[in-house]
Amino acid sequence: MATLAAPAIAAQKAPTEYGGVWGWITTTDHKRIGRLYLFTALFFMLWGGAEAEIIRTQLRAPNLHFVSAATYNEIFTMHGTTMIFLAVMPLSSAFFNMLIPLQIGARDVAFPRLNAFSYWVYVLGGVVISLPIFFHAAPNGGWFGYTPLTTNAYSPGIHIDVWVVGLQILGISSLASGFNFITTIINMRAPGMNLMRMPMFTWMSFVVQFLIILAFPVITVALIFLVFDRFFGTNFYTTAAGADPLLWQHLFWIFGHPEVYILVLPAFGLVSEVLPTFARKPLFGYPVMVYSGILIGVLGFGVWAHHMFAVGMGPIADSFFSLTTMLIAIPTGVKIFNWIFTLWGGAIRFTVANCFAIGLLAMFTIGGISGVMHSSPPADLQQTDTYFVVAHFHYVLFGGSLMGLFAGIYYYFPKFTGRLLDERLGYWHFWLNLIGSNLTFFPMHFSGLNGMPRRIYTYDADQGWDTYNRLSTYGAYLVGVATLIFIYNIVRSARQGQRAGNDPWGAPSLEWSIASPPPIYNFERIPFVTSRYPLWDVKDPQLTTHVPHTAEADHALRVDVGGQLASRIEFHPDPGDDPAQGARVQLERGTLTAAQLGIPIPYSTAKPFFAALGLVIMVCSLLTSHLDTHVPMFGLLFGGAALLVGSLYAWLLSPLEPEEAHA
Amino acid sequence: MPHPSRARRRVAVAALAAACLLVACQHGPNTTFEPHSEFGREIDNLWKLLLDVGTIVFIFVESLLVYTIIRFRRREGQPEPKHVHGNTRLEILWTVTPAIVLACIAVPTVRTIFRTQARATRDALQVEVYGHQWWWEFRYPQYGIVTANEAYLPIGRKVNFALRTQDVLHSFWIPQMGGKRDLIANHTNYLWFTPDSSLGVLDWNGTCNEYCGLSHANMKFRVYTVLPADFERWAHHQALATTVGAVPPATPVAAPAAPAKVGSAATPDPLVRTVAQVSGAAPAGPAAPAPVADAGDYVFPADRMRVNVVPHTPIPDGLAFSNLVTGDAERGMQTYNKSACIGCHAIKGNPYSAGIVGPNLTHLASRHTIAAGLYPNDTDHLRLWIKNARAMKPGVVMPVLGLNEVDPLTHVQVTAGSGGLTDQQIADIVAYLQLLR
Amino acid sequence: MTAAPVEVGHGYTTTGLPNRKIAIWAFIGSECMLFASLISTYLIYKGRSMVGPFPHEGWVDAATGHRYKPILNIPVTSFSTFVLLMSSLAMVLALAAVENAEVPKRTLGDRILGDSRLWLFVTALLGMTFLGCQAYEFTSFVHEGVTIKTNLFGSSFFTLTGFHGAHVTAGVLWLLTLLSIDLKRGLGPKDALNVDIAALYWHFVDVVWIAIFTLVYLIQ
Repeated sequence: MATLAAPAIAAQKAPTEYGGVWGWITTTDHKRIGRLYLFTALFFMLWGGAEAEIIRTQLRAPNLHFVSAATYNEIFTMHGTTMIFLAVMPLSSAFFNMLIPLQIGARDVAFPRLNAFSYWVYVLGGVVISLPIFFHAAPNGGWFGYTPLTTNAYSPGIHIDVWVVGLQILGISSLASGFNFITTIINMRAPGMNLMRMPMFTWMSFVVQFLIILAFPVITVALIFLVFDRFFGTNFYTTAAGADPLLWQHLFWIFGHPEVYILVLPAFGLVSEVLPTFARKPLFGYPVMVYSGILIGVLGFGVWAHHMFAVGMGPIADSFFSLTTMLIAIPTGVKIFNWIFTLWGGAIRFTVANCFAIGLLAMFTIGGISGVMHSSPPADLQQTDTYFVVAHFHYVLFGGSLMGLFAGIYYYFPKFTGRLLDERLGYWHFWLNLIGSNLTFFPMHFSGLNGMPRRIYTYDADQGWDTYNRLSTYGAYLVGVATLIFIYNIVRSARQGQRAGNDPWGAPSLEWSIASPPPIYNFERIPFVTSRYPLWDVKDPQLTTHVPHTAEADHALRVDVGGQLASRIEFHPDPGDDPAQGARVQLERGTLTAAQLGIPIPYSTAKPFFAALGLVIMVCSLLTSHLDTHVPMFGLLFGGAALLVGSLYAWLLSPLEPEEAHA
Repeated sequence: MPHPSRARRRVAVAALAAACLLVACQHGPNTTFEPHSEFGREIDNLWKLLLDVGTIVFIFVESLLVYTIIRFRRREGQPEPKHVHGNTRLEILWTVTPAIVLACIAVPTVRTIFRTQARATRDALQVEVYGHQWWWEFRYPQYGIVTANEAYLPIGRKVNFALRTQDVLHSFWIPQMGGKRDLIANHTNYLWFTPDSSLGVLDWNGTCNEYCGLSHANMKFRVYTVLPADFERWAHHQALATTVGAVPPATPVAAPAAPAKVGSAATPDPLVRTVAQVSGAAPAGPAAPAPVADAGDYVFPADRMRVNVVPHTPIPDGLAFSNLVTGDAERGMQTYNKSACIGCHAIKGNPYSAGIVGPNLTHLASRHTIAAGLYPNDTDHLRLWIKNARAMKPGVVMPVLGLNEVDPLTHVQVTAGSGGLTDQQIADIVAYLQLLR
Repeated sequence: MTAAPVEVGHGYTTTGLPNRKIAIWAFIGSECMLFASLISTYLIYKGRSMVGPFPHEGWVDAATGHRYKPILNIPVTSFSTFVLLMSSLAMVLALAAVENAEVPKRTLGDRILGDSRLWLFVTALLGMTFLGCQAYEFTSFVHEGVTIKTNLFGSSFFTLTGFHGAHVTAGVLWLLTLLSIDLKRGLGPKDALNVDIAALYWHFVDVVWIAIFTLVYLIQ
């Protein structure tokens, strides 16, 4: 494993980049935006975790009154909303941002300013939806907001107003991000990196971006209908006017089910990066992993009504969705086996990152099994809306998504900060997390099947649920301790962690060829990629020769990826390099500046921030519509619109980066 | 890599898991693992299949994983492993095998779906369920019964529940009888099953399983499975009116004439219907004095109630009622007829009380629980409930009636002018209500 | 390792297409889902309004005795549909004119067809005509007794067509912006990409209208 003895390399600033807070507000560098996403998402993860601890404290024993019913309903609603939209999705976004351009050999994403816009909309939306809890005005209709409960008739007041407005804002952030990454992945790959040479994280993220842009419009429409009902008196969910409450449920779950794959596929991608590195062998069955990811994405749009098996859709609809749900279990199960066989025959190193990745395999399997149990509608009638479902989705979300994301954080922390996270603290984090989460969520299978409904702020004694709930509560406290250790690890290692070189783990993909942290321009030379495992090719070519999608294997298959691209490349190879081979992948020091290399860097600008601010102000004007006077509402609406339109025009009419200068 | 401590830790995790399983093996009192109807058994058969398959898959996959990470951990001086990129045969194997396993689940699943969703036959006992925030209305149209929160079912007879609501979503679940079904406005859903003939005379818990607002957790109901003959006695009795004391006047009153005590908390008049409207076929003329306790009446014996069916909800802090007050039923009826109660509640046989917003109270005293299964039906709880229902159950529509009590929702104190009732008046009303068997 | 820049040409893309082209297609795909949801809701609620007026049949209000005609006005809407279709034609001409701005024009016909400012203006004008027709239609519906609050038809119809109209409005503003740039400094082949993505957006909005017109107005 070749590492470069790493001198201190500070993250280099763009020629026009600012310092301090203004520097963060104006940044258009995908790596810094990724860092913003990471820390904001970790903050919200703690916030959502605190909400979980409150839930578990209230449910530790029967008939407790740690919080009132009204407060509890706000807390469980916000726990779900925070974790899904403000913690897990943005943690994935952090990786999209930091990692995708590096993995495909690009200098930045396709639209750097749109990227910044996405982040600021997310932060502002997160604030809008989270702050009201301090005023007892938080959303309280559940994270899924079923109508008619969330209509004006049954939830008057500001709680649900905040929810619809906040979610609508967050949706815009995700959509913008989706367009950006689709374009980036399709169009900005280094020469020679065809789709089947892309790293798995990028592949899974690619599928996720399609899920985002196709699923979010549906919930946008569902929310628009609810906004219109609540603010403009329309009848979409007004049952007295003949509306059907199932309209909301269908629209919501047509979004909601792809959403859960949006939550888990990036974590799957991270596991697919981590396992091969620490098993010292390639991912087992790369094409099947790709196809199964695509299949999960596609099928994910066909299973939504398995959330609605109790609503009485009729036997044909029930059967259809039952079958599609079982079908989607197949590609998911295939992945688990492929991962296990990646480890098989390897030389496994149990770094913390690898422990978390293996932990995902163990826990997601359990969550997947309970998912298959749900797929049978008659059996599901005993499971749905009970704690059995709570167990299932926490196994797949906590044991799945979050564990995968933790694996990714331990794995990529050195790449983005130049320092390693402490492995000893990491082991404490891992083990306490594993034990704690199992202790929290496994008993829920039993309380659910013993009759405990969901979303109840308390329960009576002698129902047979006491022990399970007590165990869950203690497990949750353990998880809380584990999380605090993790945060401490991050804070401490960022300052004093052991320095990392380019490639502390001996990994195969492009991002490990550049310095840690990477210079602003990412790659001094955009490499010509001749392999699925470019760095292993460089280090141990004899081992990777016959792996598909290395230059040699392509040659054996008579595929000429290089030749096909040659006509499109304006390419200046070093004398001595074989033009057919291109600029080989090599470890870069990253000590030169962009100016010295003649690489144009996008301007830093605050226009995306102000556009985001204008948008959020505009949308939030709705929240003042219940006041006696409409002056604040129109003021915010037009003020926000002016800010948005003005910033947008300035943004669109100004250049992204200076005219390029070749030395 | 501290391997020995990892092994120790693995043992700890395994021990914990074993402990969990041991705890889990004891079935709770509301368990779904012991079905008591054919519907429940159909589901249970599927469930057993799912559990068996799930357990086998779990053991297989997790063992494979654990074996792999132990066997292939890196050892000192080990050469770089051979790079294997895949094995098509294996991949086909582990695609096809799960598909076959799932097909083995799919076939009985679809069969069961069609069997359990076929419309119940006409010979079923029809029970109409209306979900309200946060209580259950039960009607037996074949018997002319309107009751609330407690339903009696004859064992061995198919029952068909027609589920409706006019407010938010709810879900009807008796865990030990079978699956649940949602109540959705503008829809009628059906759920049917037959309580086993071998069932004893038993009581069952029911819950609402779709988040429906503030007191979703408190929207419970009770079901009693009884012998068919006892069921008939119960049903015929429930259909009768109850009267206390003097025979009510000939002309039923559509709305209270001078609702002096009915304050802003009372329901609007348009919701009050006449006795004729409420009781259906019941004549509007003078009602014969109904027996207070019918020899033909049947009530599930209170001493047979199991501990998980008896509510243990604690009384909220700050709510108290003097033990020294004794209620007078006759006086209580007079007070009742002039208070806010009649705006929401109906008592068949009391022409003043014809409200439809709240639970029907005609045979309140025959029920074992009040407030949708939240509290036991006894003097103390009834008194406290009337005194400050909103403190007893968050968010209820029922207004706070106790004089000088503070409404936890509006923070307004109840005064005499707004219809507040003294402890004595409440005790009287409770005495009256306790005669409504 | 050398310090000399060794670089794939700036502007290299994997597909050969510019980034914005790919992004606009992704955006259009997303918008398809948006309009599909709006249209599906309209179709689901078709025939389920509890009170009238109704789109294709008359209604007598039992409470007031007032008679209502069927609300939708097919002839007027056919005209506005035609106008929008013609605007797409104008857009095609505008794009061609921009792409060929540097080709010498010989005849008067060539100069007219090649005048991008004219065709951008015509496209925007036809778009505004369409919006005018929509505004007329909406106000006449309100006069005839259907507002967004009246019934399920009113809510779903106005929301669907209103969102479409908002998209047309955004398109018109986009076109007017391009027109003003054209008037100021002229648009040429280097701007073809920007006009191309505006054209794609405009055609998409037109296609959505065809779907709406068919499903809402024509099919009863």
